[in-house]
Amino acid sequence: MQTEKPNSLTSQILQSISNASLIPFLAILTAVILGGIIIKIVGGDPFLAYKGLIQGSLGSAKALSETAIWATPYIFAGLAVALAFKGGLFNIGAEGQLAVGAVFSALIGYGLPEWLGYDLPAIIHLPLAIGVGMLMGGIWAGIVGALKAYTGGHEVINTIMMNYIALNTTSFLLNGVMKDPSPNNVIARTPLIAESARISPLFEGLRVHWGFVLALLVAFLIWWLLNKTTLGFEIRTVGLNPDAAQYAGINVKRTIIVTMLLSGMLAGLAGSIEVTGLNYRHELGFSIGYGYDAIAIALLGKSHPLGIVLSSFLFAAMRNGATRMQFLTQLPVDLISMLQALILLFVAADAIVRYIYRIKSKGERVVLTRGWGG
Amino acid sequence: MDWRRFGFIALIIIVLFSVVVFIGQVKQPPLLIITSMLATTIAVATPLTLGALSGVFCERAGVVNIGIEGMMLTSAFFGWLGAIYSYHIFGFGNWTSIILGVVFAVITGALMALLHAALSVTFKVDQIIGGTVINILAVGLTGFLNRQLFFGQGSVFGGNVPGSPGVLQTLHIIPLTELFAPICGASEICLRNIQAINRVFDQKPIALAAILLVFISHYILFNTRWGLRTRAVGEHPKAADTVGINVTKMRYANVIIGGMFAGLAGAYFTIESVPSFEPLLTNGRGFISLAAMIFGNWTPIGAWAAALVFGSSQAMLINMQIFRDVIPPQLAFLQESYIVGLTPYILTMFILTGIIGRTTPPAADGVPYEK
Amino acid sequence: MKKFYFVMALLIVASMILTACGTPAATEAPAATDAPAVTEAPAATEAPAATEAPAEVTQEDCVTEEVFCVGVVTDVGKVNDKSFNQSAWEGALKSQEDGVADLVQFIETADAKDYAKNIGTFGDAGFDVIVTVGFALGEATVAAAATYPDISFIGVDQFQAWEFDEDAANDVANVTGLGFPEDQAGFLVGALAAAMSESHKIGAVCGTDVVPPVWRFGEGYKAGAAYADGLNGTTTEVFVVYHSDVGFDKTFTDPEWGAQTATSMMDQGADAIFGCGGLTGNGAITAAAQAGKYAIGVDADQYLTLPEAAPRMLSSAMKLITPGVADLVAAAKDGSIKPGNFTGLAGYAPYHDLESEVPAEVNAMMEELNAALLDGSVTTNVPPVKP
Repeated sequence: MQTEKPNSLTSQILQSISNASLIPFLAILTAVILGGIIIKIVGGDPFLAYKGLIQGSLGSAKALSETAIWATPYIFAGLAVALAFKGGLFNIGAEGQLAVGAVFSALIGYGLPEWLGYDLPAIIHLPLAIGVGMLMGGIWAGIVGALKAYTGGHEVINTIMMNYIALNTTSFLLNGVMKDPSPNNVIARTPLIAESARISPLFEGLRVHWGFVLALLVAFLIWWLLNKTTLGFEIRTVGLNPDAAQYAGINVKRTIIVTMLLSGMLAGLAGSIEVTGLNYRHELGFSIGYGYDAIAIALLGKSHPLGIVLSSFLFAAMRNGATRMQFLTQLPVDLISMLQALILLFVAADAIVRYIYRIKSKGERVVLTRGWGG
Repeated sequence: MDWRRFGFIALIIIVLFSVVVFIGQVKQPPLLIITSMLATTIAVATPLTLGALSGVFCERAGVVNIGIEGMMLTSAFFGWLGAIYSYHIFGFGNWTSIILGVVFAVITGALMALLHAALSVTFKVDQIIGGTVINILAVGLTGFLNRQLFFGQGSVFGGNVPGSPGVLQTLHIIPLTELFAPICGASEICLRNIQAINRVFDQKPIALAAILLVFISHYILFNTRWGLRTRAVGEHPKAADTVGINVTKMRYANVIIGGMFAGLAGAYFTIESVPSFEPLLTNGRGFISLAAMIFGNWTPIGAWAAALVFGSSQAMLINMQIFRDVIPPQLAFLQESYIVGLTPYILTMFILTGIIGRTTPPAADGVPYEK
Repeated sequence: MKKFYFVMALLIVASMILTACGTPAATEAPAATDAPAVTEAPAATEAPAATEAPAEVTQEDCVTEEVFCVGVVTDVGKVNDKSFNQSAWEGALKSQEDGVADLVQFIETADAKDYAKNIGTFGDAGFDVIVTVGFALGEATVAAAATYPDISFIGVDQFQAWEFDEDAANDVANVTGLGFPEDQAGFLVGALAAAMSESHKIGAVCGTDVVPPVWRFGEGYKAGAAYADGLNGTTTEVFVVYHSDVGFDKTFTDPEWGAQTATSMMDQGADAIFGCGGLTGNGAITAAAQAGKYAIGVDADQYLTLPEAAPRMLSSAMKLITPGVADLVAAAKDGSIKPGNFTGLAGYAPYHDLESEVPAEVNAMMEELNAALLDGSVTTNVPPVKP
């Protein structure tokens, strides 16, 4: 596959940097231009629309804070998908793992003090709420990993099925035993979690909370894990070539399970942080679509933690700015989905972008998944 | 034939039906319950069957297609749009418009498939990612156009959603009722039973076509030169190339055929079932058909059988609610539709564990071919 | 070769857009001209017109006293959902047509965490009335009401609990909840369906019973059928099915499921189908109409919104959101709006095409029932929330 001509080291490095950032940048640019043409065709004002998007996502401290709030679950879930990609696995199930994490965090958050009969100190309660949610998300994905390792059941189908199971079970719980019993409540949601299980805001008057800082920290941690530890090396090796990994003495089955477990923990963390940092309860349906957006984010970020943080910001800004865009132009929110799909299309098919901007193609191609085999 | 698999599938369907008959018999005669459930099963299974066939063609040629959902959604939208434009703007008659709508849907499916083929065969983009792109693009494109075209006075129809020309009508191709009428004579019960049985066969055109296409696909894949070449390309592209089969061409062709199946499935939603389009109306059925395809071990008949399992579990859920008040207390869990609704998903995972024989994908499925 | 495929890929996208938009707007008028007047949005609501034409009122003018602006924030849903978000938006449009509002605008919520921000966008722009649609926005609405004390808030389907609170300190002076007796509307069409059914089997296909208004429609339907049975001495079997077997995201948006469920009911003898629950219900209504059975709509007079089902549309269980919103907006302008709960009207829609099929005595029963429900001499006995 390596067909590139021998180059000097510097030019190789330069090329890899330009490859990592130039193509996504051009992809975004192309998508934005194409999106603008589409807006124009349907009779909208593209400049006003983009102005709204930018104002609404970056225009003020409040706007920035809301963008950060949107970015927080995206970073966690994006890392979840990316980690699985690195291990050669496609985790479509972030959606379900996120919901499971959120349910358990909420349960610990409101239920534990009730059950114990006394309040816990925040220093124990909060980590416990987050930890349990994270762990349950991990187990939810770990089941799929184990099925993959021991029976060969493909993770794509199994994670999709686990999504359905998670969402139905959550609905069942939130309409039943976990439903907020206060007399005025009619919707499927849990009671508010205790004060001691809440993440405090970063600044007075803004909603952005310490969970955002945690997200950035975790992104760094994942980079470190993947690049500086034995486990990370094993995950990457299994991802690149499981047969070679086997020969090299890596326990492939164990690595697959651990990869899915970690991936699920990250997705569960996304749900936990939303509950403990923002909503203070689990309300049915709050997380719809995060798991799927996460796939796009992981792809856009080329599965690199830094790339994921950046692409999370991009997606968050688009989602957050959508309000202002709608207010100014009354264009539908679906426009954002379309823009995101176009960006993804051009990132995935970088040959198109390369062609448009006459950038020379070089050999290396990232293989993220490996069909149904495994 | 994989009798173990089919036996297992038949067993599941029989169990699902028996549960409903057992509970519902106090309210309705068993025959009526069974025939009504069969009719529902076949109708519900239609888009799943077509979606699964779409997957079978793509994957037998070595291209993984998880974009079936997106292809269905786009086709459903453009098929419906085509029917409406033909009817209101170009002034065609009802039937012409409806049929043009189906044609539009199939063409849209083919175009989406062409995009998938271009991405995965030519650009060698990871095929699962190509499918994901198609799924996301479909949601944005249909949602956006649906809004822009039909909302606000500046839009083509002045802010109104125009009435569609209608839907495909139920076909009465097996006239059991007429045949048996003289035999039954004055017997009211006999006549009613015959009518109930006849209901199973009274299906709409796409539902009937889907069943026919299952067998046609089976024949094409396993008994023709084309099928042999398709499978060769999916199993061992290098060898196929050596004996002079054009791998790229075969993959393109089969992905496009698959797209047309997905297009027909899309037409089922907006032209056969309900004459209107709603955002996201496919509701994950594309993913279920993917599961059906694997469930059926990449064979048309197996995929159809698996789609029937999903169909019958849907029929069971509907009937469980109709008979909600006569569910005996010791089976009260059957009232929890969230939990009963999990049946097909858990079954699918169960099947994937290989308990009824391993599912074996085509060997080169998902691998771009490099000369 | 590469160029060829690139052009192909672009062509796919382009062709889709062109097939959709290529036709000029000025072609012959669509057949569905008998659609309700309220859906024909006046030109001023079209955003480009509102922002480009200098003579028009723009968003910047909303901060001034003289310009009366109304903003609608939807729940996670669209203003063209042919159902409750759309009705609320049409209420705002109606107030503009009536000359009450100078500018109306909407923001569609894409995610629950945006509630506060979306309301705040209108608040910061100095809108005079903000309509929030759906129970889920209740808390965000009350919170925003404190931030923007000069703005009137109308909460559709939001019950204001503090009205019954003895402690006046909790009162929010600028929030009015708009609720509806859905059980009465369901009761009326249930009685009608039972009276009209020849097989004495009727059905209802609903969204999820987790949402109280939907549950009230369904239970009211059952109660109404039982009431009509009592009057007529019949025994009617009522099938009510809620789409509660899937996640919350799908229960209102699955017309195909609605159609299959209705068909299944009709296979078992039902000859009148009530579709209550957004797009899922619409599927059931259309399927019933195609099979030549009686179809009964919900929320609005769906004879007007579902042309495919119109010929067999017996009636609709109406929850008059559109006039309710318009009335409250007008009240907000002249200062007569009262905080607390405002109960809108519920009722049943005219029979339209099927008028000749409805016997005089059934019609008389319906009119009597409607009056009796209004004056309270007949009650549905449906509790407000599923026990």
